[in-house]
Amino acid sequence: MSECCGPGYASPAEAIRAPREKLLYTIAIYTGTGIQRPDYLATVDVDPDSPTYSQVIHRLEMPGIGDELHHMGWNACSSCFDDGSMSRKYLILPGVRSNKLHIVDTATDPRAPRLHKVIDGAEIKAKADLSGPHTVHCLGSEIIISFLGNAKGEAPGGYLHLNKDFEIQGRWESSMGEIKFGYDFWYQPRHNVMVSSEWAAPNTFMPGFDLEEVGHLKYGRELHFWDFEKREPVESFYLGEDGLLPLEVKFHHNPDSTHGFCGAALSTNVIHWWKDDAGKWQWEKIIDVDNEMHPDWPIPLPGVMSAILISMDDKYLYLNNWLHGDMRQYDISDPHNPVLTGQVFMGGLLGKAPKVNGVEVAGGPQMFQLSLDGKRLYVTTSLFSTWDNQFYPEIRTKGGVMVMIDCDPVNGGMKINEDFIVDFGKEPNGPSRCHEARYPGGDCTSDIWL
Amino acid sequence: MTTHTVTIANRDGATYAVNGRRPLLEQLRDQGVDLPYGCEYGGCITCAAKLIDGEVDQRRQVALNNRQIENGYVILCVARATTDITLEIGVESHDRLYRNPFLDPLKPHELKADIASPKV
Repeated sequence: MSECCGPGYASPAEAIRAPREKLLYTIAIYTGTGIQRPDYLATVDVDPDSPTYSQVIHRLEMPGIGDELHHMGWNACSSCFDDGSMSRKYLILPGVRSNKLHIVDTATDPRAPRLHKVIDGAEIKAKADLSGPHTVHCLGSEIIISFLGNAKGEAPGGYLHLNKDFEIQGRWESSMGEIKFGYDFWYQPRHNVMVSSEWAAPNTFMPGFDLEEVGHLKYGRELHFWDFEKREPVESFYLGEDGLLPLEVKFHHNPDSTHGFCGAALSTNVIHWWKDDAGKWQWEKIIDVDNEMHPDWPIPLPGVMSAILISMDDKYLYLNNWLHGDMRQYDISDPHNPVLTGQVFMGGLLGKAPKVNGVEVAGGPQMFQLSLDGKRLYVTTSLFSTWDNQFYPEIRTKGGVMVMIDCDPVNGGMKINEDFIVDFGKEPNGPSRCHEARYPGGDCTSDIWL
Repeated sequence: MTTHTVTIANRDGATYAVNGRRPLLEQLRDQGVDLPYGCEYGGCITCAAKLIDGEVDQRRQVALNNRQIENGYVILCVARATTDITLEIGVESHDRLYRNPFLDPLKPHELKADIASPKV
């Protein structure tokens, strides 16, 4: 290991050799469930030698109700590896609906995180005209957060810039150019590029999914390439019917690579991009999950690929089909020609795996986080309160679950671990819904190398 | 100032006095009614309630499609009472709020107001 005192790891290869995760954090929501309690950050014990393995061991409630906690991000990652003044101490938890940013100290007691600061949603609206926070990335010592709307919930929103003391610096971007919608983003500093994707305006997606609005162009279908230093978009790809609702974007972890991937949720395709030998960005569709017919429904059912994840060694791409109910593993050693190497079902609308490890699964595989060594994939089942309520109304009484899938990082393959399941239907205040997860020591969606 | 009476049908018919100037969510919460809410500007549907009787002004809401409005839903964080009203509140009132769009598509006139076509 390199000797250094900043957060994270010198390289993806060193991250893979890090100690195994013993705790993970996941948010759990009551917003939209009928239970009048705050959303919370749950600490899950994932140390198999611990007596409380596979249990929630701490719950940090947010100060108010109705936040809809969703995604999270760290104050610092491996991009600060050589900066001894920084540490991976604070987790930032945006409330999509309340517009608040909760800054949580996870370092003082990693098992029992505590609230450090709340940035009020009204202050963000007043200072930056933004609402609907989503993705959090640190940029060296500073932080940017994508917001999907302006203060009125209208697209395209923009990016909030915080300094390392979590003070609002205003908007990060110089211009949104012709971008119509915001969602996720990832950057690759050695190529001076950021890629952003498109969901919809908060006023469109927050109340629920009206499929009919896709045809009215109220949902996105483009990817945007940014000049990262100038902070402005320079090129956009219109993905058309192949790229309806392009949500999660991930570059290879290798900071020299130009290859990246996006999961187009409604089309249920994986889009691959890269820079060609002439220095031009190119894209192609590399995975296309067919719709399935539900026996009782008139309209074919798409998989709804709401998330993708790349293993730290850049060998495997994981994706979910939230409505079909399967998680898949593809070998992307040749990113132009992915090979399906693993698949498991958990929940879903097709009835293929209604129970996992004795727990009835409401919802389907939705968010997931992979261990740094690529062997353990933790998967949760709730997407977004209003969308859950449409497709999986029984999740109100059953709550969400967290499942662990054992993955073979050498030969490929996935298998549900029989010793692990966290049933959020049994939470002390009633059934809650777990969503995104992060590990204290870094994981496969947190770190970017300069 | 004109006051209106809000009756909450699924809270044993409890009644509250409200004015027509401020949103119902704020006034009912001030009087101790435990209500769900999220964005507080009419965009996110978390605070939806069902209007059983009476009328409200909810011109500022942007969350509901026309079918949901037709089914009586109102967005309490921006809706103001214009008459005495009767509401069902909370998720117990959401039986017709959410639908699976692959099972039950909207007709063109049932979309949100900004994209709906006139009913024929």
